[in-house]
Amino acid sequence: MNRLTGKAENLEEWLGILRKQPEIMENVTHWHTIPPRESQTAELPADLHPKLAEALRAKGIHALFTHQRDAYRAVRNGDHIVAVTPTASGKTMCYNLPVLQTVLEEDSSRALYMFPTKALAQDQVAELQQLADLMEADIKTHTYDGDTPPNVRQAIRNAGHIVVTNPDMLHSAILPHHTKWVKLFENIRYIVIDELHAYRGVFGSHVANVIRRLKRICRFYGSNPQFICASATIDNPGEHAERLVGEPVRVVDNNGAPMGEKHFVFYNPPVVNRQLGIRRSSVLETKNLASMLLKQGVQTIVFARSRVRVELLLTYLQDLVRKDVGPQTIRGYRGGYLPKLRREIERGLRSGEIRGVVSTNALELGIDIGQLQACVLNGYPGTVASTWQQSGRAGRRQGSSVTFMVASSNPLDQYIIQNPEFFFNRPPERALINPDNLLILIDHIKCAAYELPFEENETFGSEPLRDMLEFLVEEKVLHHVKGRWFWMDQSFPAHNISLRSAAQENFIIIDMTSGSRVLGEVDQFSAPTLIHEEAIYIHEGVQYQVEKLDFPEKKAYVREVDVDYFTDASMAVELKVLHVDKELQTGDIVRQYGEVTVNAKPTIFKKLRLRTHENIGSGPIHLPEAELHTSAYWFTFSEEAAARMGTNDMQFALLGIANVLVHIAPVYLMCDPMDIRVYPQVKAVHTQRPTIYFYDRYPGGIGLSERLFTVHDELLERAKDWIRTCGCISGCPACVGPIEEVGLMGKTHALELLQEGEGRS
Amino acid sequence: MSSIRDRMNKLRGLSENNGPVEQTEEAVTLAPADDAEELGSSWEPLGVRLLQNDWGSFLIRRREYPLPYRHGHHQLSDLHLYASGLNAFHPGQPAISAGQILFLDLETTGLGVGTGNVPFMTGIAYVEKDSFVIEQLLIRHPAEERAMLAHLKQRVERHSYLATYNGRTFDWPVLAGRYIMNGLGRTMADPKHLDFLHPSRSIWRNTLASCRLSHVEEERLGIFRVNDLPGSEAPARYFRFLSDNDPEPLAEVFTHNELDMLALACLAVRFGLLLGGGLGTALEYPEGSEELLRTGLWLERMGMKEEAERLFDRLTNRDPSPSWCLPLAARDKKCGNWQRAVLLWQKAANSAEQSQLPVNEAHIELAMYFEHRSKDYERALHYTEHALELAMKRLSLYRNDPKRRSEVDAIRKRMERLRRKAGRYHA
Repeated sequence: MNRLTGKAENLEEWLGILRKQPEIMENVTHWHTIPPRESQTAELPADLHPKLAEALRAKGIHALFTHQRDAYRAVRNGDHIVAVTPTASGKTMCYNLPVLQTVLEEDSSRALYMFPTKALAQDQVAELQQLADLMEADIKTHTYDGDTPPNVRQAIRNAGHIVVTNPDMLHSAILPHHTKWVKLFENIRYIVIDELHAYRGVFGSHVANVIRRLKRICRFYGSNPQFICASATIDNPGEHAERLVGEPVRVVDNNGAPMGEKHFVFYNPPVVNRQLGIRRSSVLETKNLASMLLKQGVQTIVFARSRVRVELLLTYLQDLVRKDVGPQTIRGYRGGYLPKLRREIERGLRSGEIRGVVSTNALELGIDIGQLQACVLNGYPGTVASTWQQSGRAGRRQGSSVTFMVASSNPLDQYIIQNPEFFFNRPPERALINPDNLLILIDHIKCAAYELPFEENETFGSEPLRDMLEFLVEEKVLHHVKGRWFWMDQSFPAHNISLRSAAQENFIIIDMTSGSRVLGEVDQFSAPTLIHEEAIYIHEGVQYQVEKLDFPEKKAYVREVDVDYFTDASMAVELKVLHVDKELQTGDIVRQYGEVTVNAKPTIFKKLRLRTHENIGSGPIHLPEAELHTSAYWFTFSEEAAARMGTNDMQFALLGIANVLVHIAPVYLMCDPMDIRVYPQVKAVHTQRPTIYFYDRYPGGIGLSERLFTVHDELLERAKDWIRTCGCISGCPACVGPIEEVGLMGKTHALELLQEGEGRS
Repeated sequence: MSSIRDRMNKLRGLSENNGPVEQTEEAVTLAPADDAEELGSSWEPLGVRLLQNDWGSFLIRRREYPLPYRHGHHQLSDLHLYASGLNAFHPGQPAISAGQILFLDLETTGLGVGTGNVPFMTGIAYVEKDSFVIEQLLIRHPAEERAMLAHLKQRVERHSYLATYNGRTFDWPVLAGRYIMNGLGRTMADPKHLDFLHPSRSIWRNTLASCRLSHVEEERLGIFRVNDLPGSEAPARYFRFLSDNDPEPLAEVFTHNELDMLALACLAVRFGLLLGGGLGTALEYPEGSEELLRTGLWLERMGMKEEAERLFDRLTNRDPSPSWCLPLAARDKKCGNWQRAVLLWQKAANSAEQSQLPVNEAHIELAMYFEHRSKDYERALHYTEHALELAMKRLSLYRNDPKRRSEVDAIRKRMERLRRKAGRYHA
C-alpha cells in the first residue's frame, strides 16, 4: 500500500486488506472465488480465406477459441446455430468469421445483423469496418436505423454487404418497403441475431413474428438464409432460439475464452432492528462499497434496479467522491437519457476518463464500454442470468475482478444472499415467449399482408391462418379474391404496432424551469405511478416536480424543485375470472390457470422523506382506469381453512404469502419484475375462497403465469422454507412483510396456512 | 361471428355488445371473371371497356381531347409550341417534342411508397396526332394489377419522358415496387422525369398557401374545378366499390384523375414557356415581386442564366422591398456581383429604417462588405451603428429573447473592432 495516498497497488492487494476489516467481513455472507480459466484454442480453420486469416493475425489473433471454431464449422456446414458464452468471450467472432468468409468468397452475398438497440449496432459496424480495412477488402457495412441520413439510405439498400439494424427498423421500415431491398433479399445468406436473450416476453413474441415476416419475404425473393444467433447464458438457449426463428438450431456453448480470477462477494447489510427485521439501507451500503472502490482508483460500475435508485446513488456518490475524482467522472446511465448523452458516457468509460457509472440494466446488454474491474449490484438483479450479465461487466481476460452483491431487504434478495448455493448451482432462467399470442399474431398478419398478399396454402404461426384472414376481411382491411388475401386499407399497419410494449407511446417529460426542453421519457405502464401530478421525478440527480400530466397527449410538464422527499404511488385493482383452462389439486390447495380481466386505477401517492423514508404526507391521483384482459394462475385454500382463520387474520396471512411469492416467482421466470403481478383476495368472487392470483401484465398473456402454474408445488415449498428460516420474529420486509402491513401474527398465520394446505390430501 | 372475433374483442377490452357491428346482409363477393366475360350494365355510365391481355383483364377509360382544346389559360396545342423548353430538365438530351412525353398520375389505396399501397387507378396521357389522349386504367380487384401493369409498361416504354406531380418520389417508386411485387421485371429503368412539383415549389412556395396541384391550377393556371372529389377521398370510394361492387362512386374518381391529367399538361406548357423565355410576351409578368424573383432564381438553377438576369433587371426597377432585395442581393453576393448587391442592400437598408419592425440584415451585410471588401471602415461603422439601433428597437419589442441578445452582443463586438480599425481609439 502506498503510505501517502492510502491506495493499494492493485485490486488483489486491496481485497486482501478488505478481508482483514471485521466491520466489512461480518456482513459478508459468502465470498466466492472463481479461479482463472485457461484458454482453449484451436488453429485457424484451414479453409479460411487468406485475407481474413491475415487480418486476424494483424489483430494479434493466431488461434480461435474452441467455441469460435465450432461455430464457424457448424455454420459452414449449413446449420442454424446459437452461440452461448459469457460476456467478453469473443462471441462476435462466432458470426463475423463465417459471414466475412462468405462475402470474400462471393461478393454478391449479403448478411443482415439485428441488435436490440441502435447503440449495439453502431459498435458492431466499427468492429466489422476495422476487419474489412485490415483485409483491404471492399466490404461495405452500414447501420440502417432511424439515425441513418436519407441521402445514404439508397446506397446502403443497393450496395451494403452487411446491413446492421434493429427489429423495430426491420418491422416498420425495411420489410414494408422490401421492393427497395431487392439486392439484399435476393442474396441474403445469413441473418445474425445477437443478444438473443433480450428477445423475451412481449418484445420477444413480437420479434419472433417479425422474423416470420422476414423469412416470408426471403422466400418471395428465392433466398433461404441461415440464422446465426448469440445469447448470454440462459437455461434454454436452444429452445428459445428455435421458437424465435422457427428452425432447428444447434447450440454452441463450449466456451474456450480465458478469464482472470473473479471474486463474487455476497454482502448483507447489518440488521438494525431485529424485532422489525429491518436492515440498513442497501443503497447506503452500496454507496459505501462503491466509494471505497472509486477512491482506490478502481473503475467501477454500479447497477441499481430502478431509475430512482440510479439517481439516488448517483447523487450520493458524486457528492462523496467529488474532491477525490471530480463529479463528471461519475455518471448515471439509464433509459430516458437521450442517445447523445449515452454515447458520450460510453466513450468516457472506454477511454477511462469516466471512473464510475451508476446504471440500470440498460448497460447489461453488450454495449461496448470496455471491461471494468469492479461491479457493485444494488440488490439482486432479479434473475440469475441478469446477475451474471451484470457481473460480467467487471472481469478481464487477465487480472482479477470483483463483484459485490448488496442485498436489499426484499425477500428474494434475502433468499439469494442467504442461500448462495442456490445462486451458484442453479441454471439461469428460461427465456419465455409466446409468438402465437393472438393480439400479437394478428398484428403481424396485418403487416405481413401489407408486405405480400397471403396465398391459399400459406401458414403463419400456429393458429389457423384462414380463420384469422377471414377475420381481417370482416374487419375490412383485407380483400379476398382469386385465392389470395390482399391488404386493402389506407393505413400503414406497422406504424400502429410497436414491438416494445413498454416503449409503446412513451410519455415525454418536459422541463419548464427555463423555457421548455425535453428531459426524458417514461413508458406508459410506469407513467401513472411515476409522473402523476405532484410526483417527484429525479433525473441526473436533480429533483423535478410534475406540475401537469397531459394524459391523452402523453406529456408531463415538470419544474425543478429542491425538496427532502420522494413520492411513491399505489394502485387499486379488481380482478374477474372469465375462463378456466387448467385445474390441478395438491393437498387442500386447488390451482387453476385461465383468462381474467383486471381493472387497475392509481389511487393515492405518499411523500416519503429522503434517507429515512418516513411518511410525511399523501395526495390523490386522478387518472383513468385501465382494463387488461390476460392470462392468470391462481390457487385457493379450503373452506375449512377459511372458517378456522378469521377474515382479518386470513387477510394478513394471504398478504404475507403473496409478498413472499411475488419476490420468489421471478426465480422461475425470465421477466422484468413488473411483468407479473400478484393479487390476494380473502373471498374471491370466482372461488368464494381465499385465493392468490398471479397475472401477466400484457393483454393475452405471454406465458409467465402458465409457467408458474407448472412449478406451483416447488414455488409454495420454497415460500414455506423461506418464511420458516427467516431470522425475524413476527414478519419483516424480507419475508412476509413488516408488521405494520401484515400484523403481529402475520408470519405465523402465513406459515400455518401454507402448512395446512399441504397437510391433508 | 367468428371465434377469432370473440377472442379479439375480449383482448381489445371490448364486450360483445360494443364491438364492430357485423354486416347482416350477405357479403357480396366478386363474380369470377370468365374468359369471355362482359361488363355489367352498371359500368355503362362510366364509359369504360374491358381490356384483356396475356396477363388477364382490367378496365380502361379512354378520352381524346382535340389539341386546340383550351383548359384555363393554356391550350393543349401549346404543348407543341413549348415542349422544347422542358429540355432544361435534362440538358444534353435531344430536343423534346410533345409526343415523347407520357403524363402520369396514380390514385392509390393509401399513402407512402410501402408495398401495401396499391394504385387502383392509373391515369396516363399523351399527345397522338391531333389529340391529347387520356387513358385511365382501373383494376376491379388487386388480382387484375398484373394485366394493368403489363399494359402500362408498353406505354411507358413508348415514351422518353414521364411528366408527373411528385412522380419522382411517389408515383414512380410506387410503380417500380408494383412491378417487382408482380414479378414483371426487377430492373425497370428509371424514366427521365419531368416532375413539376419541384418547380412549383421553387416559384410559388411563398406566394401560394399550398402547392397542391388543385390549388396551383386555380391560382395560376386559371382552372376552376366544380364539385371536384378531393383526392384524399378516392381510396374510400374504391373500398366502397370493393365491398358492394357498385362502380357508381368511382365516376367522380375518374373525373378527378382526368382533371389532374389535364392540369399536368397545362403545367408542362407553363414551365416550357418560362424556360423558353416566353415571360413578358406569351405570358404577363407576375404581379408580385416575390414570384418574379423566385421565377428568376429557378430559371437560373435550371441553367437559363440570361433569362434569369432579364427578370432580375426588371425586378430592380420595381419598388424596393427587403423581401426581394435581400434574397436577390444574397444571390448576387454568392456569384460576386457586388455592385448590384450593394445597391440592393442599400435599398433594403433605407426601407428598413422606415419600418416599424425593422430587419437589420441589410445593414449587417453592408457593414461586412465595407469592412472586408472595400476596407472603408468609416462606412462600415456607420452601418454597424445603425444596425445596433435597429436591433435595440427590436429588442424593446421582444424582451429577454436570448437569441436577440446574442445578436446585439455580436454587433457590439463588430463595432469595437471597427472603431479600432478606423483608428477611433488613440493611445
